[in-house]
Amino acid sequence: MQPLLHLNNVSKRYGAVRVLDGIDITVADNEFLTILGPSGSGKTTILRIIGGFEGIDGGSLMFEGRDLSAVPINRRPFNTVFQDYALFHHMTVAENVGYGLKVRGRPKAEIAARVAEVLDTVGLGTLGGRYPAQMSGGQRQRVALARAIICEPRLILLDEPLSALDVELRAQMQRFLKSLQRRLGIAFVFITHDQEEAIALSDRIIVVNRGRIEQEGAPEELYRRPRTPFTASFLGDNNLIPGTLAAIDGRLCTVDTAAGRLDATVDGPAPAPGSAVLVAVRPEHVRLDADPAAPHGMSAEVADVRFLGANVMIELFNPALPGAVIKVRRLADGSVAGLRPGASVRLGWAADDAALLQVAP
Amino acid sequence: MNTSLRRDRQDLLRAGLGHALNLGLPLLFVVIPILSFVVVSFWTLQDGQILLIPTLANYRAFFTEGSYLPVYLQTVGLSLQVTLVNVALSTAIALFIFRRTPRMRFLILMSFMLPLFMSYIIKVYSIRSILGQRGLLNEAMLGLGLIDQPIEALLFSRTAIFIALAVLYLPYAILPIYLALDRIPANYLAASADLGATPMQTLRAVVLPLGRPGIAAGAVFTFILTFGDFVTPQMVGGTQGFTFGRIVFSQFGLALNWPLGSALAVILLATTLLAVALAGLSLRREHVR
Repeated sequence: MQPLLHLNNVSKRYGAVRVLDGIDITVADNEFLTILGPSGSGKTTILRIIGGFEGIDGGSLMFEGRDLSAVPINRRPFNTVFQDYALFHHMTVAENVGYGLKVRGRPKAEIAARVAEVLDTVGLGTLGGRYPAQMSGGQRQRVALARAIICEPRLILLDEPLSALDVELRAQMQRFLKSLQRRLGIAFVFITHDQEEAIALSDRIIVVNRGRIEQEGAPEELYRRPRTPFTASFLGDNNLIPGTLAAIDGRLCTVDTAAGRLDATVDGPAPAPGSAVLVAVRPEHVRLDADPAAPHGMSAEVADVRFLGANVMIELFNPALPGAVIKVRRLADGSVAGLRPGASVRLGWAADDAALLQVAP
Repeated sequence: MNTSLRRDRQDLLRAGLGHALNLGLPLLFVVIPILSFVVVSFWTLQDGQILLIPTLANYRAFFTEGSYLPVYLQTVGLSLQVTLVNVALSTAIALFIFRRTPRMRFLILMSFMLPLFMSYIIKVYSIRSILGQRGLLNEAMLGLGLIDQPIEALLFSRTAIFIALAVLYLPYAILPIYLALDRIPANYLAASADLGATPMQTLRAVVLPLGRPGIAAGAVFTFILTFGDFVTPQMVGGTQGFTFGRIVFSQFGLALNWPLGSALAVILLATTLLAVALAGLSLRREHVR
């Protein structure tokens, strides 16, 4: 099936700085796609290129098979929700929302009817007569959304739209965004640096770092099976233990580390035995009571036990891995009540819960 | 107890002094000088003597005697014309600057502001030397064969006054208009285009409405400065340069009729205040962010 939007091998330079280096992105119809990356990763540039605010230095940008690179901003079939909303402060909410139809020369009555309809959709039914300055942050966010969807674009671009909201409002807006996207059935391309937000909202996440795509996939896949050290540490907490690949049997790998022999599984092409690798295992997947007689696993000493409410975070160390803190998350129940700093434990995990990551040579 | 009482009194004294300065300085430097000529405007002139007899004769003279009212109306007309042309020109120039890169903006803006750092008299003389019979403009047109002999009417005419005033007060309109445009968030332009607006539609719906406070300020500046100017019309207008400002000026000079001069000055002040009020009225719908 032909994708809705296709960025093919796109590169972008600012002077001598390469901000995007051969990016390949496809967006499917009705998809909630998140582009996730730290600041400076190039994620905003990707959005600006799709919106038409930036040109490209290499590659192509296709919309339903048509080349978009020469199409000016005002003729692209997308609309953008800006990070600071960019609501026109000299226009009422209704004028802001109706702007896209007005510049297309639609009749006044049609605009009024559509504005009322879209304001209802975003839950601002009666507030059309207000000015943006008279509204709260969450309401402005909804106005910006209403303004972006009124022209029924095939795709809307959202540039960290939730970053200015407080925690509670954010959670509420996340649910609203997700339900809005399902109701409208249009593709959302969402930019964020917040991995929790990305996981909660997206059908698919593309992780970008330093102008390149690190990994893409469904949130659960990225979380459970990271393939690069960057993805492993950027999405959620992860313990990364360095070692050398000792043996490989199908997906199952054995890794020699300074602290002992560890199990992991690998996705995709496996590195050759003997290469430097990392074992990535989530704090919630580490067991503290592994069988001491088991051939694989490592022992560690409890350094700290931090109470986090529902969970406790246990920090451990192994003298053979200097500087490395191993984090283990447990439910704060009786099983960890007796754990004190200085206690010796045996760590282990299911091989399926540990991902083998290749270290770039 | 005693010390806190003293401190209270000190605070009170300091606050009082602050208020006194807040009110006193404008009173001393603005209100009193203006009030003084408002008062003089109601006095009587008899045989070259100013008598402290209240009268409305000076205001009556404005409406009935000589050419005061016609000159006033002509000057209002001239100032409105200059204002109109200047605001249109300045808006275009400000938009031009606004569209450049930030570095270029500063350079171009500065070059337009350069005349503000020059003496008024030098500017008027350079305008004269451009418009004069053997001036730059005439020589250039002669050289190009556009005309056979110098056009005298370039200088010492109403056109000359018009051109000189327009050139002289252009920076005062460019600056506020540009500053208003400069405050428009870049995102607004992006959002407007993103929603499908052409550059022309963005100009009409976003840029100009948001530039309106600057345009109003530029118009008021130009009108007030043009209306009160009494040197430029004389220097480039010759006998044609009899504007209202010059009549006021002459009442305090040659004619030595201070009460009438004051009455005319009050009318001048009232006219400029009216201009400010009208500009304010046109901005009532502004909404702060």
